[in-house]
Amino acid sequence: MGIEIRQITKTFHQFTALKEVSLTIPDGQLVALLGPSGCGKTTLLRIVAGLEVANSGSILFHGEDATFQQVRERRVGFVFQHYALFRHLTVFENVAFGLRVRPRSQRPSKEIIKSKVNELLKLIQMQELADRYPRQLSGGQRQRVALARALAVEPKVLLLDEPFGALDTKVRKELRRWLRRLHETMHITSLFVTHDQEEAMEVADLVVVMNEGQVEQVGTPDDIYENPASPFVYQFIGHVNLFHGRLQTGNVRIGDLDITLDSHTEVHQAPVVAYVRPHELEISRESESTSIAVTVNSIHLLGPMVHLELLPQNSTEVLEAELTKEYYRQLRLQKGDKVFVKPRKMRLFMGGK
Amino acid sequence: MTNALNLYLPQATTEPRWVRYLLISFTLIFLTLFLLLPLIAIFVQALQEGLTAYWTALVEPDALAAIKLTLLTAIIAVPLNLVFGIAAAWAIAKFDFTGKSILITLIDLPFAVSPVIAGFIFVLLFGLHGVIGPWLNAQDIKIIFAVPGIILATIFVTFPFVARELIPLLQAQGNEEEEAALVLGANGWQTFWYITLPNMKWGLLYGVILCNARAMGEFGAVSVVSGHIRGLTNTMPLHVEILYNEYNFVAAFAVASLLAVLALVTLVLKTLVEWRVHQQMQDQT
Repeated sequence: MGIEIRQITKTFHQFTALKEVSLTIPDGQLVALLGPSGCGKTTLLRIVAGLEVANSGSILFHGEDATFQQVRERRVGFVFQHYALFRHLTVFENVAFGLRVRPRSQRPSKEIIKSKVNELLKLIQMQELADRYPRQLSGGQRQRVALARALAVEPKVLLLDEPFGALDTKVRKELRRWLRRLHETMHITSLFVTHDQEEAMEVADLVVVMNEGQVEQVGTPDDIYENPASPFVYQFIGHVNLFHGRLQTGNVRIGDLDITLDSHTEVHQAPVVAYVRPHELEISRESESTSIAVTVNSIHLLGPMVHLELLPQNSTEVLEAELTKEYYRQLRLQKGDKVFVKPRKMRLFMGGK
Repeated sequence: MTNALNLYLPQATTEPRWVRYLLISFTLIFLTLFLLLPLIAIFVQALQEGLTAYWTALVEPDALAAIKLTLLTAIIAVPLNLVFGIAAAWAIAKFDFTGKSILITLIDLPFAVSPVIAGFIFVLLFGLHGVIGPWLNAQDIKIIFAVPGIILATIFVTFPFVARELIPLLQAQGNEEEEAALVLGANGWQTFWYITLPNMKWGLLYGVILCNARAMGEFGAVSVVSGHIRGLTNTMPLHVEILYNEYNFVAAFAVASLLAVLALVTLVLKTLVEWRVHQQMQDQT
């Protein structure tokens, strides 16, 4: 069952942060809440934790209504973006805190607390640093302590707010994989907030894309990338080229291009926008009936891939294309060359100019 | 290597040498004239007629009574302002409510009002011709020209110290650690006792030191409400004034030297604690 979010609405003064958001987090899965800043993802996470109260709607943990439960009754593990470690306590005491503050009747004995904390410190590979204070640790170490502290209380769900946001790229990548492995061994229902699509794609079982207080799409990382449900998701996940055109009874006309569709024959006249990923643009030296003439504007070599900026004739909107270095060498592209591009695949959305 | 060198290299904001020396010596001369010399003068005057005279002036019954009253005032006023300061700082730093800026302004009121006016307010309230004075008199409760009035006036003039010190500290620290404690299952009291209080202890101590120094040294407000009854309603600063007006210089400076020592101890403690507060602020990351 996991977590069920039903019709959550949250406003701050005039601003609506969440509009009737409903979402089901399957049991034992690692789910990413992905969206640009200000889309309401952190607010949603804090409502699930009980740190924020929704104006309406309800939250269920494993089928049990938790909407009106106090934060401390919810048994959630929460990892804060800036760690929020207790600065006056050692690493050991930080991790032990959740066990120490339990009511006397439920509090484990000193020995049990000690062995349990040591076990967790081993898990995060920090046994040697048990007596250090948070200020003596690096960012990555702090984040691992924050995670161990959250896990110490054996939470029913684990919530992480931009867990790697404040770390540098290399540490972030390491921690990401480590979190993934940790999740594979513990299978605790986890929800994490991120604005980094790469992070969401790499770590999560399921990605929830949010925008302006609403859920745009829920799907596996692959699904989200291959079949974006809306123009927003298309633009937010990876780079994309836009072609504005018109749909006429099953025919799309974009500039001089004419593409026949199998569907949409019932529509007579409508503006459409075609979305094409940079790697879905095929570049060739020869012209074809469905290709667009472009000039190579700039060439960026990025490891094994080559990014091109292409300027179509009679247009000022730059196109982005991506190709392998091998193919790039074959074509012997130079800046200023005139070439032809053809979308290998495109997705149409009604509307636009 | 480069760092060591940099120390000796002029920076864009460094003034010419003569400007620096001029400013430093001006500050030093000024401090010597207005602070160091008077301080030395107090001790010189106090010990003018030898240690015995000094000691006699201190253990004389009226002087002892003044010392006791000063300590009593501080012992009551400081803890009350400690509790008040924590409550006010907590409310201001951790909650959002309407009228917050008005509350902050009100806390600063004793800094803005002359202490004499502060004392006068209490006389107008509790004095025989005051608002509730006649009623109190009928109940045989004495506030003005008695110890309660002195304590009330002292609390009034010293209440901003703790709150003022804690508000910026708590604001800088934010709510995250408290939130983390709550999520981990701590109740409100545990969160305050194990997380909030340790995080503000140095700031709190700093505020208490300043509050205490002022409580013991307050003259104006206390002078208005005291009535200057020897051995009963005289605090140390008031006692000094009375002795001085009687041309009893040795005794006056002897008691004054105690206040001077208090000031020096306060300065040392303040410097030590200031350093710790600074550290606590630095640990923000």
